Amino acid sequence: MQSLTALLGLLNLIFFKPYNAIKMNHLNKISILFFLLLNLFFTACEKDNPTPGEDFGTFDLIFDNRVGDQAVSLVNADATEFPYTNNMGQSFNLTLLGYYISKIELAGPNGEYFADEISTGADAAQVKGFYHVLESDPNSQNIRLDRIPAGKYDQVTFTLGIDAETVQEGATGGVLDPAEGAWLWNWDAGYIAFGIEGRSPASPREADQFNPENGVQIHIGGWKDIAGNANMVNNVKRITLDFPSAVNIESRLSPNAHLEMDLLKVLDGHANNVDFSTTYAVHAPAKGKVFADNLAAAFSVDHVHQ
Amino acid sequence: MHFSNLYSFSNSLFGIGLLALLLSSCTREKGIAPVAVAYEFAAPAEFPDPIYTFKNNPITKEGFLLGKRLFFDPILSADHTISCASCHIQSLAFADVPLHGVSVGVNGLSGTRNAPALANLAFKPEFFWDGGVTHLDFAPLNAIESEFEMGSCIEDVIEKLNAHPQYPSLFRQAFTTEKVTTPYLLYALAQFMNRMISDQSPYDQYLAGTAKLSEPEIRGMDLFQQHCASCHDGILFTDYSYRNNGLDSLAIDPGRARISAFAGDHGKFQVPSLRNVGVTAPYMHDARFRTLEAVLDHYSEGVVASPTLDMSLQRGDQLGIQLTDSEKAAIIAFLHTLTDRDFLNDPLFRRE
Repeated sequence: MQSLTALLGLLNLIFFKPYNAIKMNHLNKISILFFLLLNLFFTACEKDNPTPGEDFGTFDLIFDNRVGDQAVSLVNADATEFPYTNNMGQSFNLTLLGYYISKIELAGPNGEYFADEISTGADAAQVKGFYHVLESDPNSQNIRLDRIPAGKYDQVTFTLGIDAETVQEGATGGVLDPAEGAWLWNWDAGYIAFGIEGRSPASPREADQFNPENGVQIHIGGWKDIAGNANMVNNVKRITLDFPSAVNIESRLSPNAHLEMDLLKVLDGHANNVDFSTTYAVHAPAKGKVFADNLAAAFSVDHVHQ
Repeated sequence: MHFSNLYSFSNSLFGIGLLALLLSSCTREKGIAPVAVAYEFAAPAEFPDPIYTFKNNPITKEGFLLGKRLFFDPILSADHTISCASCHIQSLAFADVPLHGVSVGVNGLSGTRNAPALANLAFKPEFFWDGGVTHLDFAPLNAIESEFEMGSCIEDVIEKLNAHPQYPSLFRQAFTTEKVTTPYLLYALAQFMNRMISDQSPYDQYLAGTAKLSEPEIRGMDLFQQHCASCHDGILFTDYSYRNNGLDSLAIDPGRARISAFAGDHGKFQVPSLRNVGVTAPYMHDARFRTLEAVLDHYSEGVVASPTLDMSLQRGDQLGIQLTDSEKAAIIAFLHTLTDRDFLNDPLFRRE
């Protein structure tokens, strides 16, 4: 049945390619009507062919991390090479880079809409829609979205960090369990949205039990946006990115989007140039704000694969 | 709560309930009827609605008892020397002993702030003197990981609990989880703490019409309403705001500003509940006052000016709340009516 409808559709296209009404004679019009009715008839009888609203597909969001035009490559804390340079001309390397992505939505030009399922709970299996993207774990950089209604999509929106609503649910498992590697501050309880660690010869930091010599740690956290917290800094960002071209999502396709995060744009945004000789230990919401405000501009969609 | 060793009434098999009844009948005190213990959370009628997320973590018998065991177990500390109960002692409304103005943790290290009393936590929006923690579940992590308290890292604690001969099966019974994980550890502790409701003080009985207060206590209550209740507000005796109560011209501890990084919050601390305040000496975030008399002397004569001093403690050039000795004594008499002996002695919270 499926193939018959497809065949009729194909015939429609072949025979009536010139859709221009001026070129159509009456016979053509009648034929179109005939074929349309026939098409409708067969479509109505079909049970196994997905109709709009019933087909679903997957979509992969692939996060590529860069420093300017260089791909990120993590090193160990004892490495003595410093492959990246900030706007101040200070060289540095990276031993850790990551961030939380959550509450992902896709939207299309014709009202298509998809929201990734969100749930929290103590059991890791209950935790859905929260992703800890880590440069050290290539699997974490590929977020597979599932059960997306078939259609055209040209925009992705996500939360960078873990927002108030989620923190206020209390203890949560999976990627939000601190014993499983979650980035949780205990003293100002909440999750670090975005973090880097590494070394720069410009950093005056001396070695101690938590830090290597010349260490640089920038942890951007802070989520408080609740009653009675007027002075709190909320660094959780909602980011919307347009695709360079729309992608079709349906069950027989596996499209993806390559998102780029350029760390230089986080460090050297419109409002600041990071200076590792003075800024090398960022561990509180207010100190992270200047970087958090650069985060939206640091992410872009490089390209999509249909 | 008079016969709290009757765990089983509300939520276990009839046979066990019957056994508990039989056992308890031997220990019954004269004239007091046995009361079935409900593990479920029940907010006292006069209290506001609880804000804890019970939908995620309702109290069960198994979860409560597991939480209690963990509360008393030094396994949570790095060197197995410090438990929650080391610094939160039931007979002192779960505050620390007066000798420990700031508590002593692993390796003999002292903290910088006075350990708070624990009660009515399900109603509390923010925890610790600076309010950095906004959900009860996360509160124990601070103590577990602080180098001045338990000095652990949570990964090690979870590993130790999973390797323990009994804990994995206790967690399985409480939460049907195959593995001990952080959220279940925090759930169990929260169940134990959420059940700590203190609502049976003489003041509560006075409100309920089942007891009378003495004349000085009534006078103290009126003076309290007039001079203290703008901050120590309502049935829980706190509005949970952050205020500088004039201890220092320049506070050493930034207090709320540690969380907000806002200069206007320097030296502000969360207004504590005054329930059971008669047994939680010493007082203030840094434990500087040993008695309630010293506290009232401070408010009356000792308030010091600073840029963030609370407005309610300054009227023109006049700082503090001027009280006569007799007024102070009356207020202190009233504060002692907030001591809930049932809560301090409730066997439900005792180590098994």
